[in-house]
Amino acid sequence: MKELTTDQVSAMAGALGLPVTPDDLVEVTHRLNALLEALAPLATLPLDTVEPVPALPDEPPTS
Amino acid sequence: MTPGRDDLAYLSAARLAVLVKERQVSPVELVRIYLERIDRFDSRLRAYITVLPEAALEAARKAEAAVMRGESLGPLHGVPYAVKDQFATAGVRTTLGSRILEHHVPVEDATVVARLNEAGGVLLGKLNLTEFALGGTQRFPFGQPRNPWNVDHDPGGSSSGSGIAVAAALCAASLGEDTGGSVRTPASWCGVVGLRPTWGRVSRHGSFPLSWSMDTAGPLTRTVEDAALILQVVAGHDPRDPLTSRRPSPECSSTLGRGVGGLRIGVIRELTLGEETHTEVRAAVTAAAGRLQGLGATVDEISVPLVPLAGAVFMALADSDGAGLHQPWLRARPMDYDQGTRRRLLTASLIPTATYQQAARARALIRAQLRAALVPYDLLLCPTAHQAAPPITTGRAAITTRQDVAGRFFTRRSYVAPASLAGIPAIAIPCGFTRDGLPISLQLLGRPFDEATLLRAAYAYEHDTEWSRRRPAL
Repeated sequence: MKELTTDQVSAMAGALGLPVTPDDLVEVTHRLNALLEALAPLATLPLDTVEPVPALPDEPPTS
Repeated sequence: MTPGRDDLAYLSAARLAVLVKERQVSPVELVRIYLERIDRFDSRLRAYITVLPEAALEAARKAEAAVMRGESLGPLHGVPYAVKDQFATAGVRTTLGSRILEHHVPVEDATVVARLNEAGGVLLGKLNLTEFALGGTQRFPFGQPRNPWNVDHDPGGSSSGSGIAVAAALCAASLGEDTGGSVRTPASWCGVVGLRPTWGRVSRHGSFPLSWSMDTAGPLTRTVEDAALILQVVAGHDPRDPLTSRRPSPECSSTLGRGVGGLRIGVIRELTLGEETHTEVRAAVTAAAGRLQGLGATVDEISVPLVPLAGAVFMALADSDGAGLHQPWLRARPMDYDQGTRRRLLTASLIPTATYQQAARARALIRAQLRAALVPYDLLLCPTAHQAAPPITTGRAAITTRQDVAGRFFTRRSYVAPASLAGIPAIAIPCGFTRDGLPISLQLLGRPFDEATLLRAAYAYEHDTEWSRRRPAL
């Protein structure tokens, strides 16, 4: 994914009505880019083979 | 010989319950001992947000009267405990470590608090935490929590005070909450035992949420036996939390002494031997695996290839869940949050939905890998954290690059997030110290609802080593 700029992040936050100070904006941009970069390898996984179901409380033990 | 006051303070909750029952120790005296220690040490350590001296002494007097009347006593009768300030307490403020809830006073107890009280426990107070149990707090509104082993170092979070209070004997045992390592990380860095039960084992009612599918209350204790004791008290179905299991509370205490003979343990290569794991941690955890082998377990090195992604996947999911909960305050009172919390929630608010969905599917893959590993193996083993407690200043440093974010947030979480994402139980137990005297912790992960095996192995290791008997020099 292309790296987001502070202007783009500011626009996204503005569209959601979230107040972001100039100091916050720089760090939020770093944080968001870092997270998206860390998650980039997910694109190589067979994600279409599984459903996004979280653990269920009463599933039986594995043995 | 009668133990001294400090020795009494450091006894296990299980032992204190026996001494109370046998009328060798007064619950009132125990509360006074812990209150004195809080007075002596907590202005520096900042484990507590709220201390309840009058209420604790009153409860202790009632407990003492019950003992003297010969009444049937609960398993924690007269034992002073404390809880993370994330759990609702009737008539006692519950701040979540935030100015936003500084004056919030619930009208009822969280189910876990009610169960601890019903078991005879005496609530000493509410414990400090990173704001809203998120982690990354820069300035703590109720004081900077400090590690008892070195006050310049981080005690871990989010259940910071729960780890400190147990390590420094400011209570007999504590309860924390673990969404993505918030019990296990402070247990690791403070050198105590921390248990994350199977998701659904313990009621979430009255615990302020972060991520509904991962939030789990769990004990922080000085011994494995105490972790089993507290688990048995708080576990079990709660009609007020429809996602709690209907399985009965587990009977773990009676099987603790069975040893590890015959157990198969898989050492997760990516987390134990990976380059992110600090040398001293790797050496201590590898030695612990050898010790378990020496006690009769079969120990093999195995690969769970997706676990290094767990930290980032966890943050995409849990932070998004948290951001959803915080939207009203984030819009109306943004400057009432700590800067670190606000920036983390703002970031999470902007995660694309497609990314969230990918992370949710990746979670299912990680879970499947862990569950598959837990077919041939009874337990998995790895470090609880890739490093011992870092200096407090590390967490306060400005984030100026993307690499800062990855190093500070994703790496550490990849050691604790796998169990959270998979909903399986995990326990942190001390397994050594660095050359600088900071605790190192071993993590064991088990099959869903098989806390008994987890605790049994932890107990065998604990009793074969001396790590849990060390005390910080306060």
